[in-house]
Amino acid sequence: MRITPSKVAVSALATIATAVLLAGCASAPTATKTTASPVVKGFLPCMVSDNGGFDDHSFNQIGLEGLQSAAKTLGIKEKHVQSNSESDYAPNIANLVAQKCTLIITVGFNLAAATKAAAAANPSIDFATIDDSSTDAANVEPITFRSDQAAFLGGYAAASYSKTGVVGTFGGISIPPVNIFLEGYAEGVAYYNKQKNKDVKVVGWNTTTQTGSFTGGFAAGTEARAAAQAEIDQNADVIFPVGGPIYQSAAQAIKDSGKSIVMVGVDADVYFTDPTVRSILLTSVEKGVGTSVSAVVKQAAAGKFTKTPYVGDLANQGVGLAPFHDFASKVDSGLSAELDQVKADIISGKITVGK
Amino acid sequence: MSTTVATPRFDELPTHLDRAVVKSWKVPAIFAVFTVVGIVLFVVLGRNGVTHFNLSTSTDLIKLPIAAVPTRGAGIIVVIVSAVLTAIAVALSYTARKVPLGVITLFAVVFFAGFLTWAAAGHTLAVPGLLLSAIGISVPLIFGALGGVVSERVGVVNVAIEGQLLAGAFVSAVVATVTHQALIGFIAAMVAGVLVSAILAVFSITYLVDQVIVGVVLNVLVIGLTDFLYSQVLASNAPTLNAPPHFPFLPIPILSGIPVIGPALFRQTIIVYLMYAAIFLVWFALFKTRWGLRVRAVGEHPTAADTVGINVNRTRFLNVLLAGAIAGAGGAYYSLAASPLFTREVTAGAGYIALAAVIFGRWNPLLATLAALLFGFTSSLQFSLSAAGSPVPSEFMLMLPYVVTILAVAGLVGHSRGPAASGKPYIKS
Repeated sequence: MRITPSKVAVSALATIATAVLLAGCASAPTATKTTASPVVKGFLPCMVSDNGGFDDHSFNQIGLEGLQSAAKTLGIKEKHVQSNSESDYAPNIANLVAQKCTLIITVGFNLAAATKAAAAANPSIDFATIDDSSTDAANVEPITFRSDQAAFLGGYAAASYSKTGVVGTFGGISIPPVNIFLEGYAEGVAYYNKQKNKDVKVVGWNTTTQTGSFTGGFAAGTEARAAAQAEIDQNADVIFPVGGPIYQSAAQAIKDSGKSIVMVGVDADVYFTDPTVRSILLTSVEKGVGTSVSAVVKQAAAGKFTKTPYVGDLANQGVGLAPFHDFASKVDSGLSAELDQVKADIISGKITVGK
Repeated sequence: MSTTVATPRFDELPTHLDRAVVKSWKVPAIFAVFTVVGIVLFVVLGRNGVTHFNLSTSTDLIKLPIAAVPTRGAGIIVVIVSAVLTAIAVALSYTARKVPLGVITLFAVVFFAGFLTWAAAGHTLAVPGLLLSAIGISVPLIFGALGGVVSERVGVVNVAIEGQLLAGAFVSAVVATVTHQALIGFIAAMVAGVLVSAILAVFSITYLVDQVIVGVVLNVLVIGLTDFLYSQVLASNAPTLNAPPHFPFLPIPILSGIPVIGPALFRQTIIVYLMYAAIFLVWFALFKTRWGLRVRAVGEHPTAADTVGINVNRTRFLNVLLAGAIAGAGGAYYSLAASPLFTREVTAGAGYIALAAVIFGRWNPLLATLAALLFGFTSSLQFSLSAAGSPVPSEFMLMLPYVVTILAVAGLVGHSRGPAASGKPYIKS
């Protein structure tokens, strides 16, 4: 038998292939052993951000942290892609589909349309979409939040703290997941007024007409500052800016005003995510995007994906009010007890929040 | 002697060459539309109650009383005045005369006052704060517009204002944080603007690429670059790279004590005072100096400028760089005065509004400044009205500045002629 170069190549390839096969057989059992909880074979959770990006100190970032912590616990990999503009949404989802993701989490109301289209086109892939419950499909699990319940507590605290009798709020863009904060806040103030027989006014949101003050975007620019300035001029001494980084402009407007005005943070406990505003931060209205993403990923990993919406509320600690931190000594001494009572009443249904 | 006889003097031209009678009905038509809107809003849908105008801040020396205006009565007066002004405009247009800018301004002011009174019925509007925010929103627009005027006057269309502002905002935030000096950050912003301009100049002047296309590409490039650097570098190192010191407020004695407008104009940071200086300098230099004459000559008729010995492309190159420095300085306002940090796409399209202000302002630095102020004022107005509890939905209120700008540009300014050679590369034959 003559040894030709091609025969050498073929046999070499065959040897390598056998080795790889054997190696694959050998390593398989150890791989399953390292995974603690039972994970559906081939499960790959993925995430698409909205155009705020994963570095927004806010819900994209927290959502990604939730995904990463779940993946770490389960001992699996995850994939995430960032959208830099609205035109990135559909291509990013398509990209994750191509990468054999089995669960795709789309972060934010703005991805609702793209998610709906992708879910219809890929019925074998599961989707979870944050802040939108408009899609009703067997493979889409909406993750929504009763942010109004937590904002209700924030509004109550703001009304209690206010010396001028005026509290303010404004949003980035008037979309349901933003408006729900403003509404809850205003209702909390109204509840405080009713309980204490006071007349604290809310500027920037009208619960009757459901209209309010919005900056028209989520950038900390001159507009966000003007929105805050307008409320300072209305004599507000607690301001609740809802929408990612816009609070930074509000913080500067507050500092420049030279008055003793405070603000209420949103999404995360801003005391920890942004220490520069601690001196003017009364509290934060937290939205537990991370815990909910984590819960949904773990559920799907166990093969129990469901289209039933995951709703984060005060009862399951999906939303909540952060501690007062540096302001603990400056708020009314009975406030914490009152807030606990209000919280218990909301959970028990004694107080109904939202319209 | 014989030549004076041969050439008839201008005023001796035969009368049959009289200019054609052109009746323009644009201004009266717009007046009429607004008057009808006024009748519907202020009278038919009129709101009862009293609108309060707070004219002083708590720190003012001279305290003005809070002005109380009965809403419906004021609305009726505004409608009557609007109708009279419309009639005057109709009469002027009928006799083929131009409606003077003064009448247009008066109409706009009266209508705005009526709208304010109507929208804030039952509430208090804080006028100094309204003006303060108006200036705040206008500052980057004015710097951008001045940059646009300089560049276009010399014959290069500057669509890249947005990119220059954004580059200025980004670089000033980083440099000011690293050096702990806001002023060095401000200078760095100008350098960043110059760098963006340099690309524009090289491609459009040296390589004769279409100026508008280069400008648009530059905007996209700067947005992409700052987004990338922000998420990769700044976001994770915010305390060391994105926490710039910001300019302190320097109230000017006496002037800042002027009621109503004093706090907004003269209780500001140094950037705003530099802006006042820049507005005057650009105007003075363009129209009163030899440099300005050359710039305008190059922008209007480069061949003629070349014949008298002006180096056209060199003049263009240097002035495009200058335009970048001015626009870049406007970017610094975002990071060093408005809020002490850079955030993704913080300019949010301000550069395009500045570009509109250049055209609206007929390539004149003073008029362009007024155009930018108009936009800033309407933007600020909508925030004040939202906070005061206006019945108008926020989505409509957010459109207001753009609607006003479009109406102003399309309707009241009408045909405006830019520098003749703007946008055309100069090729020396």
